Amino acid sequence: MSYSNNYETSYTSYGAGGGASSGGFIPGEGSQNSPSGRKDYTQDTLRAVTIKQMLDSPQSADEIFKIDNTPISQVTFVAQIRNISSQTTNITYKVDDGTGSMEVKLWVDSDNENAQDANKAKLVENTYCRVWGKLKSFQNKKHVGATVIRPVEDMNEISYHLLEATVVHLYFTRGPPGGQADTAAHGGQVPQITGGEYSGGQMVGYSKVAQKVFEYMRQAPQSNEGLHQHDIAANIGCEITDVAKAGDDLLAGGLIYTTVDDQTWAVLEAD
Amino acid sequence: MDHPQTPRILAPHLQSFQHKLVRMLGKVVQLRGETAVIDAGGNVDIILNRDCHLTPNHAVEIIGKVDGNLRVKVLTATDFGTNIDFDAANAVVEATHRYREIFYDAD
Repeated sequence: MSYSNNYETSYTSYGAGGGASSGGFIPGEGSQNSPSGRKDYTQDTLRAVTIKQMLDSPQSADEIFKIDNTPISQVTFVAQIRNISSQTTNITYKVDDGTGSMEVKLWVDSDNENAQDANKAKLVENTYCRVWGKLKSFQNKKHVGATVIRPVEDMNEISYHLLEATVVHLYFTRGPPGGQADTAAHGGQVPQITGGEYSGGQMVGYSKVAQKVFEYMRQAPQSNEGLHQHDIAANIGCEITDVAKAGDDLLAGGLIYTTVDDQTWAVLEAD
Repeated sequence: MDHPQTPRILAPHLQSFQHKLVRMLGKVVQLRGETAVIDAGGNVDIILNRDCHLTPNHAVEIIGKVDGNLRVKVLTATDFGTNIDFDAANAVVEATHRYREIFYDAD
């Protein structure tokens, strides 16, 4: 995808066309950025992770970390604070979530100290916290540059987070839920069409009318425009509304498709 | 100082984690001075240290070492209060061992 290229074009014309050189928020456009070093912020994600996943994640040459072969940008996790060291410019929390430990640096925002202090007072050793930030590497040692750290007040958030991290991990390693294996496990609500033979078993989940409509459509002589729902209704002796409803289900299931208009359908041949 | 991994386990896992550091979440069943019993998918005898402050019927998360008699010698204990969904916590333990790759290293 060449979003950054498109963007570059628009930026150039923007700068040339208007006098407002500093107007608007332009992602990735800092004063010290060289054009080639621009990152693609359209790919930014926020991912729930365990500390072990971050420690295990390899870093490619362009400083992008990958977990489960997917680049990560923002991460979030829940962990227990083991050690706190306050410096003038940042506070470094050593945190541990049972899967590993990691340093989290929170830069001190001198403009906004009051808001930070409210959280800071509750962030003491051995308490749990929720962190949002970015995984970074400095002299071959990983740490997280935190945007926000807040105390965990409901301990169920720990379970929630670890289960969320598991779900995301499985999503990236095994694909989204509802894949073939999953469908089979749930009694085949979405029929898997594998060949030209539509046995009754593959129509499980469809109404009697839908099965009748589909059977008729497969057998009735027709042009490549298919059949109008009025003809189908007349020939199988069903109410037009029932046929329309059955058609919707069959369309949703991918067994038929609309041709010249929404009321004219043809069978979607699997081969 | 680096903190070692502490896999989350329940009572049935104790056997396979002998002499290892573990993390357990359970409900305090009984306090007996130097020792206590917690319910973490089954009763577990734990050996307390001076810094432990357990409250009966509260959930507690302990980090400790499993000994040869399947008791857990506690290093730290954190009170988790009374509002813990143990079904969710137990699901985490199941996920920990089923999808070990994101939770702990085998040795």
